[in-house]
Amino acid sequence: MTRALRLFRRRLVGSIFVLLIVVIGSFLLLEAAPGDAVDAYIVSTGGDVGMIELLRHRWGLDQSELTRLANYLWALLHLDLGQSVTFSRPIRDVILERLPTTLILMGSATALSFGLGSALGIYAGARPGSFRDRFLSIGSLALYAVPGFWLGLVLIVIFAVDLRWLPIGGIETIASGKTGLARVADIATHLVLPVSALGFIYLALYLRMMRAGMAEAWRQDFVLAARARGLSRRRIVLAHVARNALLPLVTMLGLQSAQMLGGSVVIESVFAVPGLGRLAQKAVAARDTPLLLGIILVSAVLVVVINLLVDLAYAILDPRVGAGEASA
Amino acid sequence: MSELTISRRGLLAGSALLLASTALPTIGLAQTPKKGGRLVLAADSEPRNLNPAIVASNGVFFISSKIVETLAEASFDGKDGLQPRLALSWDGAADGLSVTFKLRDGVKWHDRKPFTSADVAFSALQIWKPLQNLGRTVFKDLEAVDTPDELTAIFKFAKPTPFQLIRNALPALSSVVPKHLYEVGKIEDNPANNAPVGTGPFKFAEYKAGQYYRLTRNDAYWGKDEPYLDEIVYQVLPDRTSAAAALEAEEIQLAAFSAVPLADLDRISKVPGLKVITKGYEGLTYQLVVEINHRRKELADLKVRQAIAHAIDKDFVVKTIFLGYAATATGPVPKNDPQFYTADVETYPFDVAKANALLDEAGYKRTDDGKRFSLKLLPAPYFNETKQFGDYLRQALAAIGIEAEIVNNDAAAHIKAIYTDHAFDLAVGPPVFRGDPAISTTILVQSGIPDGVPFSNQGGYKNAELDALIAKASETLDTSARTDLYKEFQKKVAADLPLINVAEWSFISVARDTVGNIANNPRWAVSNWADTYLAG
Amino acid sequence: MNRLRRFFHTPEAIAGASILALLIVMALVAPLLFSGDPQAIAGPALLPPFQDWSLPLGTDRLGRDVLAELFHGARTSLAVGLAAAAAALFIGALVGTLAGFAGGLIDEMLMRVTDAFQTVPSFLLALAFVSIVGPSLGAVVAAIALGAWTGPARVARAEVLSIRERDYVAGARVIGMHPLEIAFREVLPNALPPVLALSSVIVAAAILTEAALSFLGLGDPNRVTWGGMIAEGRAVLRSAPFLSVVPGIALVLTVLGVYLAGEGVVESTAVRRSLS
Repeated sequence: MTRALRLFRRRLVGSIFVLLIVVIGSFLLLEAAPGDAVDAYIVSTGGDVGMIELLRHRWGLDQSELTRLANYLWALLHLDLGQSVTFSRPIRDVILERLPTTLILMGSATALSFGLGSALGIYAGARPGSFRDRFLSIGSLALYAVPGFWLGLVLIVIFAVDLRWLPIGGIETIASGKTGLARVADIATHLVLPVSALGFIYLALYLRMMRAGMAEAWRQDFVLAARARGLSRRRIVLAHVARNALLPLVTMLGLQSAQMLGGSVVIESVFAVPGLGRLAQKAVAARDTPLLLGIILVSAVLVVVINLLVDLAYAILDPRVGAGEASA
Repeated sequence: MSELTISRRGLLAGSALLLASTALPTIGLAQTPKKGGRLVLAADSEPRNLNPAIVASNGVFFISSKIVETLAEASFDGKDGLQPRLALSWDGAADGLSVTFKLRDGVKWHDRKPFTSADVAFSALQIWKPLQNLGRTVFKDLEAVDTPDELTAIFKFAKPTPFQLIRNALPALSSVVPKHLYEVGKIEDNPANNAPVGTGPFKFAEYKAGQYYRLTRNDAYWGKDEPYLDEIVYQVLPDRTSAAAALEAEEIQLAAFSAVPLADLDRISKVPGLKVITKGYEGLTYQLVVEINHRRKELADLKVRQAIAHAIDKDFVVKTIFLGYAATATGPVPKNDPQFYTADVETYPFDVAKANALLDEAGYKRTDDGKRFSLKLLPAPYFNETKQFGDYLRQALAAIGIEAEIVNNDAAAHIKAIYTDHAFDLAVGPPVFRGDPAISTTILVQSGIPDGVPFSNQGGYKNAELDALIAKASETLDTSARTDLYKEFQKKVAADLPLINVAEWSFISVARDTVGNIANNPRWAVSNWADTYLAG
Repeated sequence: MNRLRRFFHTPEAIAGASILALLIVMALVAPLLFSGDPQAIAGPALLPPFQDWSLPLGTDRLGRDVLAELFHGARTSLAVGLAAAAAALFIGALVGTLAGFAGGLIDEMLMRVTDAFQTVPSFLLALAFVSIVGPSLGAVVAAIALGAWTGPARVARAEVLSIRERDYVAGARVIGMHPLEIAFREVLPNALPPVLALSSVIVAAAILTEAALSFLGLGDPNRVTWGGMIAEGRAVLRSAPFLSVVPGIALVLTVLGVYLAGEGVVESTAVRRSLS
């Protein structure tokens, strides 16, 4: 456990540097953008020079870049993410409102792709080279090759418009006044399609990794030994082969979390899910620099935390892993 | 199909009364208005400020016009195209220095305080004139608003201001907000900007960012028995294909502002229970315009501009890009405008041979690879149609030996590139005609506008004669003399082509058959919906 | 020849290689078969496929030839995929080699930068980057590479770490070669194969990312891409499904082909390496 703590401390210090790089890098990138928040705003209103100057002044855009970056970092030090010009509200509130939605969407999609992917991977890898192995591995790959937005649109047409089994989008029935279990069920129904669209894409990843790991494990000594001991095939598959193949998948879980967050941008837009991904898209379009910085920062923290947890889990699960190795 | 052809021809003729195929049967049914119910409709954007007195734009009106009312609303058959709202009558003095409004009695704000002339005076002087995007131009000479009694407001102007202009500006520019809520603190930071309070038939209830806006019935509304609906819910649907799917799945009952893509209308008009309505946007005409940077030496040559005008097949644009839901344009005032439009202008029929000849004459011969010169073309990203027209224009220019490279930007970068940096040769823009050329049309060709003003002449065009004409029209008080000047203005623009008007279009609504009293005024989508109802 | 035989030992690899070969042929003959601008208006708008044999796959919203667009789209999709992968591998190998070989503070700094890039969702980064720079083919390639170089960097670094202690590297040090020369002439070439093994995954991901960017309206408007075609066609997904289905199938097959062929290569080299 002390080793795990040491690892934790080391990673935490490294993470702070990482986050600093992320913030400054994103700030500079956004500053390079043609057009600012005022340009984005006047698209829908028009206005004369006086009005435009007024707005720039009110939104603090007439200050130099360096001043704004310094102000931002100083506020950040006090855990203040600033004020969004798009929403005229504190960014912390705007993000906190969207975060649960994205977490639920990502969590469910990860659970789906990891759970179903590794289960099918075990099923396929139990008989390497068999028809079912080939079929599952190619089939999942084909799913991976389908653009997520396209899968989403097709799912909507089939299940929401034609069959009407599921709602076409959103996170819950609007202004329904549902509470408690009814609301949970309502949200779950709304999540089925977006979670499927997002989860099925990443299914292939876990399936193929599991399968490859199992193919490797079949050749290992302890499996041969288990076979020699006359253990049943089912038992060998589950207790020895699959268990060993599972560890790299856990690492993958951490690495994928950032990608999943990116993939949800498109899915949230197709399914009108009010999550962080859509918020980010809006922030870019509106040139709401502090808002986008806040989103990037929060998602970076999220990814860092997930990876920390994965590392910890790994260190606990597999005693062979040293702290130095896991951090590379 | 034949019905559709008829309706398309109808639209081309600029007819106001126009309904596409499946809408026809429902007219005959004459449902009786029914009370109650929740209307759910699609919204594709979420405005950051919901105060229509500050931000006079269709995106804001779409939601706020149900909550905050204007002095008058546009009308198909009212005098001067207007019907009373908060004002019962309006009267301009002969010297153009004052306008008197008689206000409606017994109107209450949503917080039960009475509405009076003080609210009108406050809105006009503290908000429309100094803060409103359009009001800053139209009300620039407004000096004072006298309130001799609670129901009379007299606008006093420092310089003669045409009454016709003020009248035409009423539907979009005269949203009245409560003085008692706005007189404390900074107007721009007022919480009512995000949760508006007005006199309208609906009260603002809640907004869930990224999900919906909800409005509820105002039981104390001044209109007798109005409103019919209990609730209006705007469901935010960011993807362009969701509105059609949501309509078909019966999750929403209405999609306004062409939320259903034009290309999908033919199919959706055949879905039982849905109707396609092209009426109700006559007062919100958008113009498809090729903006020209006259700093480019080739484009400063009138012959080149004429060649480009001849190279554009306007009928193709209307037929293929707008699928018939538009009309070809002749000049800077749209055909469906009842007051100012004139057809008596120079026209540029589609004629590639003539275009090529003009370019040869101008001295831009084709080189060995068949090209004359290259241009940068920036289509505005706000509409699918402006982008598609950009694709088409690139092909049309290729046919006359001009190579155009398309530069796609998002909205913010586009605005900056054109109106501040002037980093374009040709651009495709969708300016809005707001019922009077002085509100937002003359600014498209007038010279001397500072850099950075959006939707204005930033192409470096300068024509002293045209400037003088615009200046004269802005201070001409007599309605018919003023109208004549704007007809002259159209002729001059069409002859000298500071920009090329290609087409003009409005929006389409798709609704369930059960939604009644749709499209009964020229700005229906952005009007108050007091009489809209849900049958059965 | 042995390697080729090994490569073709699975049907998956054969399928993948055939798809890729077909794709490359399509890309090569596109300008010959469909000379002129593929975005030129060729006929009436929204013509369904198999109606007019001069326009076998029909036309799109503006009346452009879908088949010509499909062929020219193969060019751009492949070009974007290959260019992005090449850029990502190049940056990755460079950073990884430097970090692994230099060690110490440089390693620490470069790896934290790598962490930073890995922490930001790459699609979000690509979205922001293209919105800001403006959509052009170059910007799209750069945006994809920006999010994809971290994987190769990590692999390269790990390889370099194991190679740099080997005898021949020590030998090069003894004869006084410049450290940078050792890093890029002795170490990098040996560290490269496992890095290159990532290329098929990156190419496949790049093609999909380009499609997703086009879907959000961030593709290069002067080029035909399959992603752009799908994005155009989705407005008429219900009334003219072929407009998004045809390029969709092309996209799926391509990604599948790249993946399978890549796997075949990796497996055949893996066998060789374990044998040697």
